Amino acid sequence: MAAPNALFSRSAAARRSQYQLAGIAYATPAALVVGVFFLVPLGLVLWMSLHQWPLIGDPTFNAPANYTRIRDNALFIDAVWFTLKYTIVVTILLFAAAFGLAMLVQRPRPGVGFFRTAFFLPGAVGFATASLLFYGLLSRDLGPLNPILSALGLIGKPISWVSGSPNLALGSSIGLVIWRWAGFNMLILLTGLQAIPGEVYEAARVDGASRWQQFTRITLPLMRPTIALVLILMITGSLLAFDQFYILTNGGPDNSTTSVVMVIVREAFTRFDLGSAAAVSVLVLATLIVFNVVQLRVLRRGDRPAGD
Amino acid sequence: MRVQQLAARTGYYTTAAALAIVFLFPLVWAGWASVKPTPGSGQQVGYGFGNFIKLAHYGKGLPTYLLNSTLIAAIAVAGTLVVATLAGYAFARFRFPGRNLLFLAILAILMVPYPTLLIPLYVLLGWLGLQNTLVGLALVLTMFQLPFATFIMRNSFEAVPRELDEAAMVDGATTLAVLTRILLPAVRPGLITVGLFAFLASWSDFVVPLILISSPDKFPLPVAVVNMQQQVFGSIDYAALEAGVVVLAAPCMVLFLILQRGYVRGFMSGSLKG
Amino acid sequence: MSRRSSYVLARFWTVLIGSAALAMFGGLAACGKSANKDNKEAAKSADSDSGATITMWTRAATEAQSKMLVEAYNASHKNKVELTVVPTDNYAQKIATAAGGKALPDVFAADVIFAPNYTSKNLFLDITSRIDALPFKDSLAPSHIKLGTYQGKKYAVPHTIDLSVIFWNKDLYQKAGLDPEKGPTTLKEMAEHAKKIQALGGEIAGTTLGGNCGGCGVFTIWPSIWAAGGDVMNADGTVATLDSQQVKDTFAVWRQLYADGIAQPGSKDEQGPTWVGRFQSGNVGVGPMPSTTLAMMDKAGLKVGVIPIPGPDGGQSTFVGGDVLGIAATSKNADAAWNFLSWTLSDAAQVEVLAKNKDLIARTDLAENKYSAADPRVVTTLKVLAKGRTPYALNFNQTFNDPQGPWLATMRAALFGPDLNAGLTEGNAKVTASLAQK
Repeated sequence: MAAPNALFSRSAAARRSQYQLAGIAYATPAALVVGVFFLVPLGLVLWMSLHQWPLIGDPTFNAPANYTRIRDNALFIDAVWFTLKYTIVVTILLFAAAFGLAMLVQRPRPGVGFFRTAFFLPGAVGFATASLLFYGLLSRDLGPLNPILSALGLIGKPISWVSGSPNLALGSSIGLVIWRWAGFNMLILLTGLQAIPGEVYEAARVDGASRWQQFTRITLPLMRPTIALVLILMITGSLLAFDQFYILTNGGPDNSTTSVVMVIVREAFTRFDLGSAAAVSVLVLATLIVFNVVQLRVLRRGDRPAGD
Repeated sequence: MRVQQLAARTGYYTTAAALAIVFLFPLVWAGWASVKPTPGSGQQVGYGFGNFIKLAHYGKGLPTYLLNSTLIAAIAVAGTLVVATLAGYAFARFRFPGRNLLFLAILAILMVPYPTLLIPLYVLLGWLGLQNTLVGLALVLTMFQLPFATFIMRNSFEAVPRELDEAAMVDGATTLAVLTRILLPAVRPGLITVGLFAFLASWSDFVVPLILISSPDKFPLPVAVVNMQQQVFGSIDYAALEAGVVVLAAPCMVLFLILQRGYVRGFMSGSLKG
Repeated sequence: MSRRSSYVLARFWTVLIGSAALAMFGGLAACGKSANKDNKEAAKSADSDSGATITMWTRAATEAQSKMLVEAYNASHKNKVELTVVPTDNYAQKIATAAGGKALPDVFAADVIFAPNYTSKNLFLDITSRIDALPFKDSLAPSHIKLGTYQGKKYAVPHTIDLSVIFWNKDLYQKAGLDPEKGPTTLKEMAEHAKKIQALGGEIAGTTLGGNCGGCGVFTIWPSIWAAGGDVMNADGTVATLDSQQVKDTFAVWRQLYADGIAQPGSKDEQGPTWVGRFQSGNVGVGPMPSTTLAMMDKAGLKVGVIPIPGPDGGQSTFVGGDVLGIAATSKNADAAWNFLSWTLSDAAQVEVLAKNKDLIARTDLAENKYSAADPRVVTTLKVLAKGRTPYALNFNQTFNDPQGPWLATMRAALFGPDLNAGLTEGNAKVTASLAQK
């Protein structure tokens, strides 16, 4: 019995390794781009975090000073709490907004193309520019928002949306982020929604399933990979939020909206302490890697049949 | 039944329209503010396109910046599409050693604050001889797009039933043929999304080109616009800013209007039937 | 998988990771090597205008003046300067990146108050003997030269001058019954004028400030403290003196203006982008503004009067801001670069380019030239230049300009917080700590 079995397993094995080589071949361009343009610079960041790194001149090895000093950086500690709080709030609101919009525009109806475009259009503006645009829009004395809201009778006296209070500043930033990114995430969710074949819904309707049951038993489970992507993007993006605070609120009022990346940028380009900035970045990266590995495991559990 | 339908439809359109107004308002305001009279701007008296004319003549002139932006975007979009599609195919259909590690490495790009990477990237481009070149910049922008693009393509490929692949391979097709003839048409919405987002990101990005490019004649449009709007003491020429917003957003809007039909067709085509 | 293909695989990954690692360490070795700069003096070459290309960076805020000088130089010399304008907010980032990549331009401008920081980090080339060889070396704007000096060596020359002065809107003065040709000579008098203008009602405000902008506060509030004979910190910028009497008196005036609603309420949150626009809109009566915005105000159709910034009870001073220009430590074109630098300080450049365009010039010996006499407001501004100061501190940016720095918090506590004295005393300690931070 050995001979036929051996033949059979050899060709199967050969096919399998050929298959593997094909996979590697397809993955190589990405591996090259990631290796050269990301891993190498990342290695340099790691290296810098272990040194006192002057702008011009020789670096001096000083590990682990850059890391231990983080503990004493009060601005950083406050920024961590703020960034966590901000991430939770924004992710919930932005996800709800994007999903709601996606459900709204997924069926072809007259005018749906216009609505889709309207919701997505803010994504056509660079985020830094969008932040500055909002600063002008929300300006207490020079922007149109206060006059319009007054005319509509919604507010009594002009409100300083961007710096009136920590909550207003946070609210304005969240408003900016939702305006700018809801359409973008809506589109990603749309690709997921539209990948679900219509017959699946048909079959469920025939079996008497209600709209809600269709949503929870068909839409959500089949959307899992897309939802995973959107959540990873939102959460990671929020933890690394920068432009909206740097430009719209300046981290204020009174440092109440200072995020973690703002502290990193301050270390690097205001204090010119590149080693310290690198150390904080490495710490943030390590945290995010752990967090995302866990998140991916949870979201992909029992998901893909083969190939995982 | 008819009344119910009418009420539902009215509700739908009212909600959608209200939301559309909220989303469009800042852009409409920017458009209006770019042509209205503003003291101290390019358009002092009366309505007109003074701010746009000022923008067109600024620095090296609009055509130069537009050309740079277009080149950068073209290379970045092409690069992203090719690399991410091949990688998405690999992750979705193949098992190979290092697969999970590579995927994590790609995702890790999202997890590093980009200001931190800029100095090492600048040094790296110097080593590669790509410092201050549009190609080097486009490759870096491609790298930043990889996590999102690869994830989308992987999801898109995974959503196509394997039976299609296997049927073709039984007939003797190579993996490449399966990719080009069977899978690519099926993942069109994903391709459109990836291409569109790669275009948007590279067209409107401002910090990465600013840091990696130093010759004034190689700057893309966003850098020129930011320069134009900044004045003494951090004060901003808002009229110039708004003109910049209009000029930069217009091509994106046109592109999206053209491409978004692909979504509808993708939905309607039912290519996943059977 | 077969043993053969697993070898292939192992080889593949090893080559990939190995070459990445090699590239990384090889490059790090190169990166870590010292710049090997010889910061010593290079002999002045007789023929330094030989058709070289000189790269120059400037901030967007300084674009107008830099561009004028570059164009005039290029038109009259064989050397050509290639000017790159960089957005102001990202300028430090670009300089730092270029420095880290050993790719600074030949020449770059810098905000004068950051000059101590840059010189202490070896970004500029030592040009002491070159400056000392200039015939007019003693009439170069002293505060700029002082800030460009580090440990006895000179690294930068003045490039542009921007002073803080009081602007007043003559039309609003007229409407409020004030003499439109007479600006306030004390800060308390300015408060009185502002009060009358505030009474005009509607959108009109008496005065305005950059209430959430540290750099604006430095520029507009400190001169009043100096005019009263006080200071915000010691001479080498290591210890703050914000709890001194003159500081308290100055802040007391501004605090009252806000308390009475005479200072534009929205300006409490002004972060900088719309600070100048507030006065430019024609709705503000009187207040401190940058002298370089005078032309912009004229163009907007306003009739503006100019007077130096006074202290609470008199005196005059100004914040001498602007840019310095220096040769990068890594430049390979030092002689050609100096040819350009020294030309920008020559009579031709200072009078025929800058003064002709109503800009302030860096040479006190040329102050009274045919162009400056034309506008009496420019004469006023020039006269106060001699009474002005540019404060010196190594950690200026992270302490005073940075929104996350301690100055902004102190300023806001003094202006809007519950207790003026407590706010200043507490803030003073934090500012001192930041000035001393290594």
